[in-house]
Amino acid sequence: MGIQFKPTETFRGDFSYSNSDEAVLRFPFPFAEDKYMYSVNMEPHVRKGPCPVFEHAFDVDEHYIAECHERALVLESDPKRCQVLPHMMAAQWDTLELIMESLATDYPEHFSLTRDGDNWHWINRPLNTDQRFVFGDPSTLPREPFEYITRQAQGDFTIQDQRDHNLYVDGGMVTCQADWSLEFDIGMSFHEWHGPVPLAHDIGVFDRALQYLLRLQYGQPVRRLNWTMTVNPRMDTSPENYPDWGPDKLTVTPENVDRKVHLRVELQTLFRLPRSNGILFGIRCYLISLQDLERVTKWSKRLGRVLATLPPELVEYKGIARYRDMVVSRLAAVDDGAPLSLGIQPDQTSLPPRR
Amino acid sequence: MIDQGIKSRPVYERLRIDHSGLRHLFVADTPSFSVEPLAAEAQALEVWAVAPLDSEGVSPALTDERHRSFRSVQGLIQRLTHRLKDERMGFRLYAAGREGFLWDVYGTAQQAGLGRQEVFLTHHGSTRRRVMCVHCRTFNEGVTTTIAQCEGCGAQLFVRDHFSRRLSAYMGVKVDAELPGDVPPAEQAYQ
Amino acid sequence: MIVEGKLSARVVGVDTISPTLKRFRFAPQGGGQFPTAAPGAHILVTLRGPDRVWKNSYSLVTTPEQRDQYAIIVRRADASRGGSHFLHDVITGGEAVELSAPASLFPIASLARKHILISGGIGLTPFLSYVPVLRSRKATFELHQFCSEGEAGVFRDLLGNEDGRIHVHGSTSRPALDQILADQPLGTHVYTCGPDRLMEGVAQTARRLGFPENAIHQESFGAATGGQPFVVRLTRSRKTIEVGETQTLLEALEAAGVEAPCLCRGGACGVCLVPVVDGEPEHRDHVLSDAERAEGRIIATCVSRAKSASLVLDL
Repeated sequence: MGIQFKPTETFRGDFSYSNSDEAVLRFPFPFAEDKYMYSVNMEPHVRKGPCPVFEHAFDVDEHYIAECHERALVLESDPKRCQVLPHMMAAQWDTLELIMESLATDYPEHFSLTRDGDNWHWINRPLNTDQRFVFGDPSTLPREPFEYITRQAQGDFTIQDQRDHNLYVDGGMVTCQADWSLEFDIGMSFHEWHGPVPLAHDIGVFDRALQYLLRLQYGQPVRRLNWTMTVNPRMDTSPENYPDWGPDKLTVTPENVDRKVHLRVELQTLFRLPRSNGILFGIRCYLISLQDLERVTKWSKRLGRVLATLPPELVEYKGIARYRDMVVSRLAAVDDGAPLSLGIQPDQTSLPPRR
Repeated sequence: MIDQGIKSRPVYERLRIDHSGLRHLFVADTPSFSVEPLAAEAQALEVWAVAPLDSEGVSPALTDERHRSFRSVQGLIQRLTHRLKDERMGFRLYAAGREGFLWDVYGTAQQAGLGRQEVFLTHHGSTRRRVMCVHCRTFNEGVTTTIAQCEGCGAQLFVRDHFSRRLSAYMGVKVDAELPGDVPPAEQAYQ
Repeated sequence: MIVEGKLSARVVGVDTISPTLKRFRFAPQGGGQFPTAAPGAHILVTLRGPDRVWKNSYSLVTTPEQRDQYAIIVRRADASRGGSHFLHDVITGGEAVELSAPASLFPIASLARKHILISGGIGLTPFLSYVPVLRSRKATFELHQFCSEGEAGVFRDLLGNEDGRIHVHGSTSRPALDQILADQPLGTHVYTCGPDRLMEGVAQTARRLGFPENAIHQESFGAATGGQPFVVRLTRSRKTIEVGETQTLLEALEAAGVEAPCLCRGGACGVCLVPVVDGEPEHRDHVLSDAERAEGRIIATCVSRAKSASLVLDL
C-alpha cells in the first residue's frame, strides 16, 4: 500500500493545503509538557517513538509531490535558496547516497535504487523520474548532487562542515524555512548561525549542543522537534519574502483564527556523513491548522497552556505577538484545566468533526 | 539599540603578535592606526597602509622595505592577493580598520588558504555599517542609522546585529513588513 | 544510514603480508553491504575467544566505495593486550565477528590546499584509505612512510606505484621532518599516525615551522598505556574492581562483566564518559575541556586512570 499523494495542493495563492485525518493523527506535536523552554532536547533518531513520523530516516507523507512542486517554484524565482560552498563536494555525494538509500529502503513502492559499482540507477515514481548516473561524477547528473536529491525530498537541508572544533553551515537547500536566510548565513559557525536566537545562548544551550554534535557518530543520527506558528499554510516564510508574508499576520481575526493560524513543527534530524565527515541537518516542516489541531483534545489544551506561559522574548522571536492572545483565548475556552498526560502522543485514535 | 544581544556580531580584541608564526604582515585602511605597539612585539613586522585621502593619488614614498603605502583600499587588497599567492606556511596576517575592510581582508586571506587561526583583526575608525538588504541583496554602504532606506528596493530596513563575515555585512530587514508605513524614527547609532 | 546495534560479519580472508603483518577481510553476515566508511575510519572489532573477549579498534584500509568488504591490517605485537595475538594465531577465516559502525576521528580536512601524510610502521593503515580518496579528488598530497629497512618493500607493495607523491623511507635514507615540512604553500595540513615519538616529532616540527594547531592532525587511538594499579567502586552495580597496571579501566570493567559504553577506545570519541562520584581521575583523553578536567567529575574509561588509590563511578 502506497501513500495517497495530494499533488495539486498549494502553499501560496489559494492555500489549498490541508491534512487528511491520518495526517492529523500522525502530526509531530512538539510539546510533551504544559510549558516550553529551550533545552538540548536531542534524542537518537531510531525507528520508533511516540509519533509515526519517527519511523523512517526521512519521513515521506501525502504532501510529498506538492512540497517538491513548491520547492521548484521557490528555486525558479530565487536560485540562491540552494547553495553549497566549493569544498563541500564530498558532502554533496554523501547526502545523495544517504537520501537515495533511505528512501529506497523505507519506501520501496515509491523509490528504487540499483547499483552496479559506480553506475547507479534511481527511480522516483511519484515525481516520474528515472535517472542513470555515475556516482562521483557530477557531469552525469542534471544538477549538482545535493541540489538534485534535495529537490526530491521534503523539508529543508543544510550541510555542516566540521573543522577547528566547530560546525560551519557551508551548504543548504532552504525553501521552507522559518525566517532565516541561507544567502546571509552560509559559511557561519554554529554560534554565529544561531546568533539571533534569544535566551538560549545565556543558558548554554548552544555550547552543549555543539559539543554533542561534534561527537555525533556515523550510523547514529539524532533528532529533535522545533516549532513556531505561521499564518496560512505557507511553506516559504523566508526573510527574503517577508514583505510578502508579513502582512498576513494582520489578517487574523477571532472569527478566522482557527483556519488562518497554523502550528509549524520542524522535525530536525542530524546525520554524520562518511566521506566528508560533515553533518546533514534535515529540517522537515509540518503544518497543521488550529481547527485540525483542536480535534485532538490533549493537543488543544496543551498548546493553549504553552502559549499562555511562553516567555515574552520567545513570543517576540517567534513572531506570533500579533495573534497569540486570540489563539490563547480560543483554546482556553475549551480547557477544563485537568492534568494532561506527559508526552506528545495524541491519546485518541480517531477525530471528531471540526468545531 | 547598539547591542541587540546577537552573537554573530564580531567582538574584536587588541592585536598581538602570534609568536607561533614566523612571518608577520600588518595591513590597515588608514595610516592613523598606531602600529608601534604591535611592531614592538615583532621586529620583522611588515606594515602596509592606505595613504590618507588628501594625498590624492600621488604615489606614496617608500619609507623602507618593510613599510608600504597604497593609494586606496582597492590597491592594497589587490597587492595582498598577489602577495599571498607566494606565501608559505608560518605566515600570519593582521588587519586594522573599518569592519567592511577587515572582512574583505579576511575573505582575501581565506581565498589564499589562510584559516581563522592565521588572521587577526581589530576594529579601528568609523563604525558605519555595510548593510545587505535581505530582500533584494543590495549592499548599502556607510549606514549610520538604526533604520535606513535600501538603495536597491526602497524598503525601510532595520539594521540587525546579525553579521555575515562572508558578505562582510549586517542584515537589513524591512521594518514595516507587517504593517506597511509603520516605520519608527531612525536613530543615529553608527558614526 | 541508521545502524542499530553491531554489524554482524564473518572473516572471509586472511592474507599474510609479512612475518608480522596480516590483512583480515570481513564481509557482512548473510550478504548485503556494510555502511559507507569514511577515509581514515576505524572499527571496533569484538573477538570472542574461548575464555575471554577482546575489543580492539583498527583502521580500515578499504576505501569508502568498498562496501562488500572491510579490511584491516594488524601487526602481531609482542607487547599487545592480546587481541593481535588472537587474530594472528587463531583466526584463519570463516569466524563470526562483531564490528561497530565505522567511526571517523581522523578526517581529511575539507579546506586544506595540500595534504602531507606522515606515518611510521603500521601507522600507515589509515592512509591506505586516504590515498585513493585524495587521488580521486585530484587533491595535492604527498605521503611519507617511515619504516625499518627490511619492511620498506612490504610497504611499497601496499602503497602501489610510486608516482612522486608516495615516499617510503627505510632506516638508511631518512629525510629530516624539517625537510618534509618546510616551505609549504598556505593551506597545507599535516596528518600523522604511528609511534608516539614520530607523531610528537611531526607535531613539534610543524609548530616550529608555524603551522597553526588546526592544520596538524594526529590519529589518536591506540596509544593508551598502563600505570599504577587502582581500585574502582561502582555505585549502581555495587561492584569493586581492581584495575591492574597493564590494563585499562575499561578493560577491567569489561572483565568484571560490566556493560560499559565505549567506541573508539582511544579517548577521542567521548562515548565512554562516565560520571565520577569520588576520587581524583588522571585524564588521558582528548575529549574533555580544560574546565571539565579540572573539575574531575567525569572520566573517559578507555584511557584515563586514577591519581587517587580509588575511584567511585556512577555506573
